[in-house]
Amino acid sequence: MKRILTLLALFGIAILFAQTASNLTEFKENIAAQKAEAKTQLNPYRFDGSKITYFNFKTYKQVKEVEIYLFNNTDYRFSFNGKSLPNDITIEIYDKNKTESDRVLLKSFSEIQGKNILVESAELNKTYQSKKNTNGRLKRVFVNYVITAVAGAQNKQPTMKERGAVVLVMGYKN
Amino acid sequence: MKTKNYWLATAFVGTALLLTSCNGDGEHNESNELNTVDTTEATSDEDFEALFDSPEVDYHLPSPLQVASIFKKSGLSYNSGATSDPSKSDLYTSDLKQMLNFGVYSADMAYCVLNEQSNEARKYLEQITFLAEKIGMEAVFENKDLIDRFDANIENKDSIEILMVDIQERTEIYMDDNEMQHQQAVHFAGAWTEGMQLGVYDFENNPNKEGVGSQIAEQMSILSSIIKGLKDPRNDGMDIGWLISDLEAIQARFDGFHSVTAYFDDPDALELTLTDAEYDELGEMIKTLRTKIVNG
Repeated sequence: MKRILTLLALFGIAILFAQTASNLTEFKENIAAQKAEAKTQLNPYRFDGSKITYFNFKTYKQVKEVEIYLFNNTDYRFSFNGKSLPNDITIEIYDKNKTESDRVLLKSFSEIQGKNILVESAELNKTYQSKKNTNGRLKRVFVNYVITAVAGAQNKQPTMKERGAVVLVMGYKN
Repeated sequence: MKTKNYWLATAFVGTALLLTSCNGDGEHNESNELNTVDTTEATSDEDFEALFDSPEVDYHLPSPLQVASIFKKSGLSYNSGATSDPSKSDLYTSDLKQMLNFGVYSADMAYCVLNEQSNEARKYLEQITFLAEKIGMEAVFENKDLIDRFDANIENKDSIEILMVDIQERTEIYMDDNEMQHQQAVHFAGAWTEGMQLGVYDFENNPNKEGVGSQIAEQMSILSSIIKGLKDPRNDGMDIGWLISDLEAIQARFDGFHSVTAYFDDPDALELTLTDAEYDELGEMIKTLRTKIVNG
């Protein structure tokens, strides 16, 4: 009987591991499809690359930041895909990184879960120039993903329903 | 009885495994008892887990095609002697040199494509394909379909540009799937140095290139992220210290230029323009580093 139980336990672990790997593979495959979808929204801007930000919802709030360079005389479009989000998050775009106390919030939006949202650098520059009372253009922007706290989340061993990702695809006007 | 139970259990578990592996459509069937196992409680090892939890602070570097496009818009003209020798890829035997020159040739190819030098661009595509094989990215260029597409569209600049975008995307996907993202900074260090060198060459050899000069200064903004990427501990095995030191020296010298400090002290300054002496000094440092990279 002991042998049977050991065997059952071993197979049980194998099943759990296989299922987890399978879930994560499916999660990644979905992200590839969402990236393709986000890319189609770039037109007529030319694809320049993507940044996929993975995270796990935890019992406390988290902020993940992505720095993007903007060059003079070039217009950019950012395509955010939130179809791999089990919960909504807030996306904030700033002129400086999160350690700078005087940074300017250029745009903030939520309700991205299940959607693809576009942002253009022209809009960000306009807000920047208005808020800073300057004619200067943004040299870079900092995208902050504000990941809300989820009560009861497994902080150390996240479950699939706590895993999320935002696909960001960037394009520039040629 | 004992033997019977053993085989029953084995049969049950075997069936469970089979059903689990067949559930490939990703839809959870609530009525299927086998699927009621709370698989979400399973743990993964730390490396696997790290793949699904991005760093708190990350960055995106522009593609070689975007950089070449920006330089071209700034007035950079084509100088046939300025690019790297495409016949040298055999000389690059270390991982570091192969990755750096993969970046160098990518920048050269973008430069040639945007300047409608298709035959030259094709030579670089061949060398990029060769080096990709050396650095474990042969799958990006497998079946030679990219070369075939290039040949089929050699007279069509737009199609060749789209092909370059495809290469960029394939490379990105391949590196993501194979946990090679940390090496992107190495490729980019090569591409950045070559792009800057092409700018410096044009600035030195052609008069009235203020736009190119401004672009050289603007491209300096991404250097800190490249250095940060190179310092990823996963790049440690490549004897990368000299490269980081040289890039840090360029960054430190640039940050110390009077024009640079004045620019950052003035919130209304629209464009950073270096003095001739500052351009000369920066240009010499770039050229020295580029020589180190392209020499085998």
